[in-house]
Amino acid sequence: MSIFKNVMGALLATATLGVAPVMAQDGATIAIIGGRADDAFFAKIGRGIDDATLVVEAHGGTVNYLQLQTYDNIGGDAANLIRTAISQGVDIIAVPNWVPDAQDEAIEAAMAAGIPVMLYNAGGGDKAAELGAINYIGNEEYPAGLAGGKYFAEHGATNVICVNTVPGAGNLEARCDGIRDGMAESGGVSEQLPLPASAFGDPTAVAEAIKATLLGDETIDGIFTISSADADSAYIGMQQAGRVETVALGSFDMNVAGLERIRDGEQLFAIDQQPWLQGFLAVTLADGYVNYGLAMATSPLLTGPGIVDASNIEATLKGGELGYR
Amino acid sequence: MSRLSIGSLFRRPEAGAFLGMVAVIAFFLIFGGINFLKPSGIASWLNVAANIGIIAIPVGLLMIAGELDISIGSMIPAGSMIVAIMSGHYDFPIWMSIIVVLGFGVVVGFINGFLVVHTAVPSLIVTLGTLFAVAGLVLGLSVLITGTTSVSIKAPDFYKAVFGQFIGGTYQVIILWWFAVTAVYVFYIHYTKYGNWIFAIGGDRESARNAGIPTTKLTIILFILSACSAAFVGMCQALLFNSAQVSAGMSYIFNVIISVVVGGVVLTGGFGSVVGIVFGTITFAVVNQGIYFTSFDRNWSSLIIGVMLLAAVLMNNTFRSMALSYAPKKK
Repeated sequence: MSIFKNVMGALLATATLGVAPVMAQDGATIAIIGGRADDAFFAKIGRGIDDATLVVEAHGGTVNYLQLQTYDNIGGDAANLIRTAISQGVDIIAVPNWVPDAQDEAIEAAMAAGIPVMLYNAGGGDKAAELGAINYIGNEEYPAGLAGGKYFAEHGATNVICVNTVPGAGNLEARCDGIRDGMAESGGVSEQLPLPASAFGDPTAVAEAIKATLLGDETIDGIFTISSADADSAYIGMQQAGRVETVALGSFDMNVAGLERIRDGEQLFAIDQQPWLQGFLAVTLADGYVNYGLAMATSPLLTGPGIVDASNIEATLKGGELGYR
Repeated sequence: MSRLSIGSLFRRPEAGAFLGMVAVIAFFLIFGGINFLKPSGIASWLNVAANIGIIAIPVGLLMIAGELDISIGSMIPAGSMIVAIMSGHYDFPIWMSIIVVLGFGVVVGFINGFLVVHTAVPSLIVTLGTLFAVAGLVLGLSVLITGTTSVSIKAPDFYKAVFGQFIGGTYQVIILWWFAVTAVYVFYIHYTKYGNWIFAIGGDRESARNAGIPTTKLTIILFILSACSAAFVGMCQALLFNSAQVSAGMSYIFNVIISVVVGGVVLTGGFGSVVGIVFGTITFAVVNQGIYFTSFDRNWSSLIIGVMLLAAVLMNNTFRSMALSYAPKKK
């Protein structure tokens, strides 16, 4: 029994320690809401948040990173996390506005409770202005897709397939729409290839779908994927269809394998929205706003789109290996 | 059953699954054209089937024995990440990573099996627990060790050739592994006493134990087989795609169970066959990949997949009830 009591005592002490800083505060208490912990993209945002936390702690504040457990009900779950943050009585909330219809109400509730809100990663500058949020830090999906489409066209592609492994997600549709419109400016075309849910997370299924699509249409000369893992699959699909030489590969976001392909000339480019900057800036700017009333005059603060291609691959690869890019 | 007749062939447990498979292949031959059965077309669904199939057989055997294993959803990324971290991030030789991958499968499978047989907790709940626990462990360790959730790996030629290469440019080498393990399973399940034991456990665990069948040991072995198979598939994927992600694999849970059920295994246990599971897996892969050979609007693919799978299962059910209620004519 005494061992049990000791363990419980230790657990309670730990729990109290964990909660205590939220209560007693000199600096800013910042709540930041983010995507799933196993999401490679949010791992980089998490890196930025961790680094920024050092600054916040130096100012006597704390950062509470609230992460979604699943993406099945992303808008509702994010709204609940906003309300959790409100109930914790934090000084400021930084949150991606993934599904405005579901989240706007919670964001407005936070402001009504006197808690300022910073939008980052998703939502956009117009939404931030509409809600009265401090600023928006991140990428805007459609312009990023547009930049990708133009880049494809400039490098000679005329028929690009946009592989969408989560059809129906607004931000991904916007990326593919951007690609299509960017291509259209130079007279090229781009169609979406929506894959069924049974293929999501199965690299072989994604690769085979892309291979079959390539075999079915000889005129396809570009493939665009909405994530770095899908780009790995797409490359295998291109290889199997014997079209590595004739089809250009581009992707949203990147991983080390993708960066190595760009270095070796096997992938044309990746669109980078610099997630580390999003996490880092969201937290440091929130800290500056609460403590010292600092705010950027520029709005929105765009961290992307940046294009990573053969011209800037070395520095990017170095950052990628360390988990920053 | 000493003489083979058409009738007895149709009454075999895999007959319904076989006909379902033929039906979907015929469907896509009509709507997708002959490209679907050209070598690269066959590779399209055979590659997908092989990856699912290696896991589907042991999961199907567990289902025949009345158990379920959904922890495979995190064992696949576990297999990929172990080999990518050990031999990609660090420079350990691949054979060492393979031992660790399979060793990890043995450990998780043993935990699953041990908890299922020694507690009254249903295997769905036990393996749900290990599904999340393993996913969390892999994520935590990956971020701790490498700082990212996606690790790249370049395997030496020999290991690529054995585990993650394309034969003739289109066929994944894992297909050969699938054929090989299928042969081994068919032998053990249908030509030795162990197979009967598994069916007996699924029929009635208590009676099976009373009849002297080592139900505990056998159940644990089946869980170890499914965990190791999933980890093995994950490892092969990492070597093939030169990259491993923490979050991949969850769709396999559903895909594997669907393949097994389409293959004629009854969800409540006691009925099914290894060859049936193979047919079911091929059916599932054909339905999923066949869409890309047709001119159907891709937005409808999930609907078509759902309807065709349902049709395949119904066909299978009809054949099973016909076979089970069959009585030879009196002479």
